[in-house]
Amino acid sequence: MAVAPPATGVPIEVHGLTKHFGRVHAVQGLDFVVQPGRVTGFLGPNGAGKTTTLRMLLGLVNPTAGTATIGGQRYRDITLPLHQVGAVLEATSFHPARRARSHLKMIAIAGGIDNSRIDQVLELVGLSGDAKRKVGGFSMGMRQRLELAGALLGDPGVLILDEPSNGLDPQGIAWLREFLRHLAGQGRTVLVSSHLLAEMAQTIDDVIIVAQGQVRALGTLASLMSATQSAMRVRTPEPDRLQAVLLSVGLTFQREGHDIVTIGGVGPEQLGPLLAAHQVVVYELTHQGINLESLFLSLTAGLGYEASPVGRANPPVQVWAPMPQDQAPPGPVAPGPVAPGPVAPPGRRPAHAAPDPTATWAPPPTQPPIPPTPPVPPPETPSGPPSGNPQ
Amino acid sequence: MIRVARAELLKLRTTPGPWVVLGVSLVLTALGVLGAFVSGRAHGPAFRAPVTVDQLRDLVGSGYLGEALLMTPILGVLCITAEYRHKVITTTLLNTPRREQVLVGKAVASVIWGIFMCIAGLALVAAMGLPWLSAEGGSVSALLRQVGPVVPGLLADFALFALFGLGIGILLKNQVAGVLVTIGGTFIIEPIVYQLFRHLLQIDLDWLPSMAAASVAGGLTRGNGHGSSQMVMLSWWTGALVLLAWGLGPAVIGYFTTFRRDVT
Repeated sequence: MAVAPPATGVPIEVHGLTKHFGRVHAVQGLDFVVQPGRVTGFLGPNGAGKTTTLRMLLGLVNPTAGTATIGGQRYRDITLPLHQVGAVLEATSFHPARRARSHLKMIAIAGGIDNSRIDQVLELVGLSGDAKRKVGGFSMGMRQRLELAGALLGDPGVLILDEPSNGLDPQGIAWLREFLRHLAGQGRTVLVSSHLLAEMAQTIDDVIIVAQGQVRALGTLASLMSATQSAMRVRTPEPDRLQAVLLSVGLTFQREGHDIVTIGGVGPEQLGPLLAAHQVVVYELTHQGINLESLFLSLTAGLGYEASPVGRANPPVQVWAPMPQDQAPPGPVAPGPVAPGPVAPPGRRPAHAAPDPTATWAPPPTQPPIPPTPPVPPPETPSGPPSGNPQ
Repeated sequence: MIRVARAELLKLRTTPGPWVVLGVSLVLTALGVLGAFVSGRAHGPAFRAPVTVDQLRDLVGSGYLGEALLMTPILGVLCITAEYRHKVITTTLLNTPRREQVLVGKAVASVIWGIFMCIAGLALVAAMGLPWLSAEGGSVSALLRQVGPVVPGLLADFALFALFGLGIGILLKNQVAGVLVTIGGTFIIEPIVYQLFRHLLQIDLDWLPSMAAASVAGGLTRGNGHGSSQMVMLSWWTGALVLLAWGLGPAVIGYFTTFRRDVT
């Protein structure tokens, strides 16, 4: 059986993607690019058009207009697609009487994948002991793991996951988070939709927020957070000196008590160096920036949770411009440009640099070949908590 | 394409539906053989072992192709509708995004499984009928000489009937509807329609599915609803083309109407 060489991550590009189901406009002119080496979160309320978008990307739903390509090709035009793209769409796509191993074998045969991969992915997702069990007896979490195993069979360079943590226990979620970071660290493209915002905040590098079938915001998570109004709370024995420093750089602040100052419109990346430069003694520095959930809610507030019928669509609140195709790096987008950091090593967050108007795009680093099997510990024995996301 | 067909065959092997269809067809086959011998004995000492095509048809035809063959379309229906029922169609189309390739793969798998059912049935007939025939003093060699020429047609019948069921399944997508249409159509509606046209309008609808199947098998089978001796049959190749059309027609219509629809 022919085995293709390991796939490398390629960009996912969506341009003007539109889908109408009769009078319902499920997706309306989506534009975004998902870069390799990044975990990109695809967020939106129920009925926002996330699943429809992913299904159009995978050739299951025909777009009314626009294009959705993976590495410049439509999914249905890719030869041996399972070697390039792995997808987890729903944890119910199983015949209940079929055994887990047979399910994966069926995929392997159709995808031109060597049978030896079956045992590898079963072990990877922690289902080796259940390979001969019928899927009908699986829990939701086990089905989700099996679905993920199927997506990984071809060792693809692109992973598209729709609510992959549904049904997973906390251990499984932690493992998945590490695993996705690991895959992105290898240079693969990871696009994941989820409604678990706190969970996503710990996982993703870039974010696309959609509501009513339209993009509401997109960019790096760091730039989104930084550019959104946030505040820093500082406890210091030198509040007057701090006040003078803040006035000198034009930051707004508010005194709270004799030793606490709250500074608006700034994040830790900006304030920390400022305080250090002026040698202000600090007892406590607390970031009061908004989290992903509050950002999400602020961007989708009042939009309703259903797809918009004709003539009812709210105008999109375009917080960031779509990623420019000719210079889209594995980093943020204008107007909050941030120099792209290096691709994160497995299991570690990339550095989220502070917004810097003078920063310029750097070419993405050359990705090394992807080894055939990511050495990720099974879900029962996660390798430890991931590093947190700066907020 | 070979990969897709192999995957489809694996799907059939790893779910109970096709095995149940095979089991029911074998039971019907066994009952047919038993019925033929028991009714033959009832004729008393005058009973002669079957040595002609007509007698052979009386021996196995009623059970084997009258009912067992007509189970085959259910296999074709299951081959496609089970995918929609259990949402496996999503996985299938992710594996093989080109839908026409999926259909061709399913057609090949259905044909192979249909042939497998036919061979299994023939083996059962031989296992039951030949010793019984010998015990009754019949000529096994004479029987085999009669069977030989009709076996290829028999195999073709099973293959084409599986294809017929697949076409209905592609068109309807719904498992219950597909099974009801194939069973009801061939067991109930076809005999009634045939008789109505034959007796009221003096028209022989020899292009109906089981009639076409009878032609392909060279008279081994009996069309539903009428005596074999009066049967007007197509030539074997015409019958094969008609039966193929019964499969391809719904499949092509289904491909352009239902199968290309969005999978949501």
